[in-house]
Amino acid sequence: MTHAGVLVVGYGSFLRSDDGIGWHAAGLLAADPRLAGTRVLARHQLVPELAADVSRASLVVLVDAAAEGDPGSLSVRRVQPRPPTPATWSHHLDPETLAGLAEALYGLVPPIVLVSVAAGSLAEGDRLSGALERALPQVVEVVADVVTGHHRA
Amino acid sequence: MTREIVIEPVTRIEGHAKITIQLDDDGQVADAHFHVTQFRGFERICQGRPVHELPSLMARICGICPVSHLIASAKACDEILAVEPPPTAVDLRRIMNLAQVVQSHALSFFHLSSPDLLFGFDADAGGRHLFGVLGANPQLARDGVGLRRFGQQVIESLGGKRIHPAWVVPGGVDAPLAAETRDEILAALPEARAATERALAWYKTAVQRFAEEAARFGDFPSAFMGLVGPDGTVEHYDGTLRVVGADGAVLAERPDPRPYWEYLGEAVEPWSYLKSAYWKDLGYPGGVYRVGPLARLNVADRLGTPLADAELEEFRGRLGRTPSSSFHYHHARLIEILHCLERLGGVLADPEVLSTRVRSVAGINREEGIGVAEAPRGTLLHHYRVDGDGIVQWANLVIATGHNNLAMNRSVAQVARHYVKADRLTEPMLNRVEAVIRCYDPCLSCSTHAIGQMPLHLQLLAPDGSVLDERRR
Repeated sequence: MTHAGVLVVGYGSFLRSDDGIGWHAAGLLAADPRLAGTRVLARHQLVPELAADVSRASLVVLVDAAAEGDPGSLSVRRVQPRPPTPATWSHHLDPETLAGLAEALYGLVPPIVLVSVAAGSLAEGDRLSGALERALPQVVEVVADVVTGHHRA
Repeated sequence: MTREIVIEPVTRIEGHAKITIQLDDDGQVADAHFHVTQFRGFERICQGRPVHELPSLMARICGICPVSHLIASAKACDEILAVEPPPTAVDLRRIMNLAQVVQSHALSFFHLSSPDLLFGFDADAGGRHLFGVLGANPQLARDGVGLRRFGQQVIESLGGKRIHPAWVVPGGVDAPLAAETRDEILAALPEARAATERALAWYKTAVQRFAEEAARFGDFPSAFMGLVGPDGTVEHYDGTLRVVGADGAVLAERPDPRPYWEYLGEAVEPWSYLKSAYWKDLGYPGGVYRVGPLARLNVADRLGTPLADAELEEFRGRLGRTPSSSFHYHHARLIEILHCLERLGGVLADPEVLSTRVRSVAGINREEGIGVAEAPRGTLLHHYRVDGDGIVQWANLVIATGHNNLAMNRSVAQVARHYVKADRLTEPMLNRVEAVIRCYDPCLSCSTHAIGQMPLHLQLLAPDGSVLDERRR
C-alpha cells in the first residue's frame, strides 16, 4: 500500500456545505486525465496517519476551505513544516504540523502546496454554495497547474 | 463532614466525562464515581427510519469504531430479513472488523496510553502525548502511526472510506473484494506484524517499572465476558458468549447470546448518562464483569494463531491464567493486535474470499433482530424492533463501555483510595485517576452515542459539597 509520486488531499466536512470543497475537488481531480498517476484522497481532516503518505510523495497538494475571505476566492501558498507541539491533538492536525510530523517521523517532507477556497456557507448540507460551485472549476485548474508544473520541472 | 474531588473533563479518552472523589470527615476517600456527561440518544433517533438505513445510521455513533456498529447492526438486520449472508460476505465483514480492532487498539495504546508508559505517571503532563513519544522513542511513535494507518487503509480499501463506510449492508456486503486489494493488504501485513512485535518487546520491559500501578489499577476479582469460537479460541465476529469468574472457571456459556435480557441487567444511575450493565445472576451492583481485550484473553482457551498464542502463553506465565488487574488491558491490546493481523492473513489466504457472491437479498421477514459482535472495547449488542414495513419502532444498544461501567467505577475508587491522601490535587494523583480509566479505552461517544473528545475536569469536594480544589484541562 505504498505510493510514490504526487499526492493530492482534499479535506473538510462533506456535510458542511462549502467545507466539503476539498471532497468535491478531489472527486473531479481523480478523474482528470492531466493528473493520471496522481494519488487523490478525500479526508475529513488531516491526521497523523497521513504523515507516511506525505513523506513518500514527491509533491503534496492540499485543498481545503478557508473561513475568511470573499466566498469563492482562492489562495495558494507553500506549507512550511512546523515541529509538533504539546498542544497538538492527535485527531486533527493543521498542514504545517502534518508536514512537521512527516519530517520528524520519516525524515522526509516534500514540497507541500495548500490551495484554500474561502467558504460562503458552512451550514449543514452536502452541496456547495453558488460562489463555490462557480469556483470549483478554477480550483481544479489551479491544482492541475501545480501538478503538471511539478512534472515539467 | 464529607468532601468531594471532581476531575472534569477526563483527557485522552474518547468522549466527555468527569470524575468525582468523595472524601469523608477524616479526609480519606469514601467513594469515587466516573460520570459520563454527554448524551445523544441514537436509540430514539433511529425510530421511524427504514431498517435498511440502520447500519449506516448507527455507524455515525462513533468516528473511532464505526465498523463495530456496522457489523452488529447488519447482523441484527440479517435477522429481520431472515437471511444468512454468503460465507464470503461473512469473511469480508470479519476482515473489516479485524482491521478495526487493529486501528482502534493502536490509537488506544500508542496515541493515548504509551506516553504514560514511556515517561511514567509522575512525568510532566506537558510531554505526555504522542509527540512527546516521537521525541523520546521515534520507532514506537512510527509503529503506532503505522499500525493505525494499516487498519484504516484496510477499512478504506474494502469500504471506500476509512470512517463511516457504508459497505456492510443487511444480508452481506455491498461489493466483493478485488484481488489487487487483497494483495495490497497481504503485502502490508509483515511490516504491521513487525511493528506489533517491536511494541510488545518494548512493553514487556517498560511495564516492569509499574508494578505498583499494576497492583492498584482496577485489581479486583470480577467476571469476564467475551465471544469464543467452537474450539474455544477468541472470536470477534460470531460465536458463543462465555463468562468466566475471577478464577477462570466458566460461569456461563450462551451459544446463542442474543436474548441478552435473560442474563444481563442495565441499571441507570442519576449521576451518569452511561448505563451500568450487570450480570443478572449476581445482581446489582455485585454483578460486575469486564469486557474487551483483557476479558477476551481471559475467556478464551487460546487465541488460535501461533504468534499470538506464544504471547498469550508468556502473558499467562507472568500474570496467571486470569489476570485481574485492568492495567493489563494494555498488554492484552497488543497481543490482540498481533492475533488480528495473523487472522487477517489467514482469512485473506482463502481463494474464496474473492467470490462475488457477497449479498443475500430479502424483504422484511421478522419484526425483531439482535446482532452481537466483539468491538475493540468489548461485546456489542444491537437490538431492533420494526413494523411490517421494516420501519424501526424501538432500539436498544448495549455497548462495551456500558459493560465495563461498574468495573471502571470500582477502579477509580481503588486508585483514589490509594493515591488521593489530601485535600489538594497533585498532577501525579490526577494522572493516575485518569489513567485507570484509559486502561479500559472507554468510548463515551459509543456508550452514550455522543460526539466529541474527552478533556478532563477534576473537583475535590467537601462533605457539604463545596469545592476544595479543581483542575481542568
